[in-house]
Amino acid sequence: MIAEAWDWAARVTEWGVANWSHPGESDRGVLPRLTEHMRLAYLSILIGLVLALPLGLACARWRPLYPPVLTGVNVLYSVPSIALFFLMLPYTGFSDWTAVVPLALYTLVVLLPNVVDGLRQVPDHVRQAAVAMGFGPLRRLVYVETPVAVPVIIAGLRVASVATISMVSVASLVGLGGLGQLILSDGFRRQFDAPIVVGIVLTVLLAFVTDAVLVLAQRLLTPWTRGDGGGAARPRRRRRAAVPTGADAASASAGTVGPEAADAARARYPVRTGRGPGYTAEEGRSWTS
Amino acid sequence: MITFEGAAKLYPDGTVAVDDLHLTVETGQTTVFVGPSGSGKTTSLRMINRMVEPTGGSVLIDGQDVRRRDPAALRRSIGYVIQQAGLFPHRTVRDNIATVPLLLGWGRAGARARATELMELVGLEPSQARRYPHQLSGGQQQRVGVARALAADPPILLMDEPFSAVDPVVRASLQDELLRLQEDLHKTIVFVTHDIDEAVRLGDRIAVFRPGGRLAQYDSPERLLAAPRDAFVESFVGYDRGVRRLSFFPARELSLREDVVFGDGTAAGTAAASMRGEPWALVVTDDRVPLGWVGAGQLARVPADTALGSLGLAPYGHTFAVGTDSLRAALDAAVLSPAGRAVGVDAAGRVVGVVSQDDLGTALWSVTE
Repeated sequence: MIAEAWDWAARVTEWGVANWSHPGESDRGVLPRLTEHMRLAYLSILIGLVLALPLGLACARWRPLYPPVLTGVNVLYSVPSIALFFLMLPYTGFSDWTAVVPLALYTLVVLLPNVVDGLRQVPDHVRQAAVAMGFGPLRRLVYVETPVAVPVIIAGLRVASVATISMVSVASLVGLGGLGQLILSDGFRRQFDAPIVVGIVLTVLLAFVTDAVLVLAQRLLTPWTRGDGGGAARPRRRRRAAVPTGADAASASAGTVGPEAADAARARYPVRTGRGPGYTAEEGRSWTS
Repeated sequence: MITFEGAAKLYPDGTVAVDDLHLTVETGQTTVFVGPSGSGKTTSLRMINRMVEPTGGSVLIDGQDVRRRDPAALRRSIGYVIQQAGLFPHRTVRDNIATVPLLLGWGRAGARARATELMELVGLEPSQARRYPHQLSGGQQQRVGVARALAADPPILLMDEPFSAVDPVVRASLQDELLRLQEDLHKTIVFVTHDIDEAVRLGDRIAVFRPGGRLAQYDSPERLLAAPRDAFVESFVGYDRGVRRLSFFPARELSLREDVVFGDGTAAGTAAASMRGEPWALVVTDDRVPLGWVGAGQLARVPADTALGSLGLAPYGHTFAVGTDSLRAALDAAVLSPAGRAVGVDAAGRVVGVVSQDDLGTALWSVTE
């Protein structure tokens, strides 16, 4: 049994390696299908993202716009992809656009709620503070709200990109290339499983790698969220933040009784005479030291 | 000087947030807007930097109507501290503080240098410059909030319940530091709170707002506690306003008794002889550090040559600083002392004398008349 499975895997791998590329015939082999797949998927994701950002910003800014827009894109999403591909054929023929236009729309549909929700979850006090600091509406959107929304937007992008990468395979049904072509024409029609398996494995790998790249991108783009997700990391960081400040009042709040608590108790009822505050210069740090 | 001239805010649904507000905020002073929820104090504050536009009347800064200023430019010239600090989560502490200087076009280097300066001013360690807000405690976040508001050195500082989200101990120390800061900077501060104690502690002037956005009383803290204008103000300032008002009278005018303070080497007989009917005596070390109370009855029971230091003493409770504390602190010390007497100490913690509740009562009568 195991030996049979091993043989089968070896046969599939052998086929994949043997058909990886055909020198001189740039259109045959696994590699050209893979690059086609990547081109179609990434182009769709990119266009979807480029469309979703301004649309999401507009929906977050003018709230009444969001419900009809969301309904509209959801209706689009409910149209089967294969139908859309066929609908596009008369207009765009066998060019990339036949696959890219519907797939970009799907990306848009998945991303839009994330962009809007991401912008909406910016805490109100942060938004108010930005207004009070003198940010105009546009600057606030660009420098405060969008960066704060990035983690939520990237979470949507991860879902959208995996979905798009898998949907590109369907585009092969209409003869648009990609790894789906290995599955459909080489495998299915010829009743031959090696190309099917190679196609599936490469599609999954591509999705996996893309997802990993996005996770990495998020870590680089949003260093401020680190330690925020995992509950364990946060208190550790906090404690580390508090320790070097020592005398700081804030750290005293963590412990029950500190020198600061005694200070505060002593300063409960100080004298206030006339106009100015009549305070003693207490030992310890002060704002004016 | 900030002037409200009949300022009003009426929302389309009919809610009156602020109703015909006439009020002058003096330059260089701390003015506190205090009142229950829905009394329009925050709305009034936000009229100053145009975050809320009045629907009637006007708000003037140094005689100029704020509506004639560009909102963004106006706001950059006014510091603002918000509840929960409102720090930008994606920016480091230093970049948060540098926000307004950057908006004003100081350039990155200049803005960062200024931020470093302010971190020192508000008591933040330089090592915290590159941390993100969520890595700080609530108190530290508020310090960053204050530093950010002060970054462009605005003459006016608006503070909207800035300390209400931190615990009482941290709040007390933040209040102290604000007072110290204000002693040096003399900003025109408008401070919103719902906590009358905070208002009394920080304000040079206090405006009490009542529900419906009307000004109930505008006075100095002392006058507010002494003479609330009506039943609403009286209930809002609290029924212990008499005791709280004692915060405005220094303890240094109390006459302290020194004849019932004895060194720990004094013999019980000697002490008993010189107490002349006083029920309690305070025992101190040679350096006049308080040790505790000894009762007259206890002295009568022990051999006359016993040193006071070897007796079991009643704890002296907490002391008050004669030079700097208020009558409120002295009264509190007396109330908490098992002997019913408060121990007054000098700046170095050495006993100056003691005061009984009776003597304290006489003093309270005379100052608060």
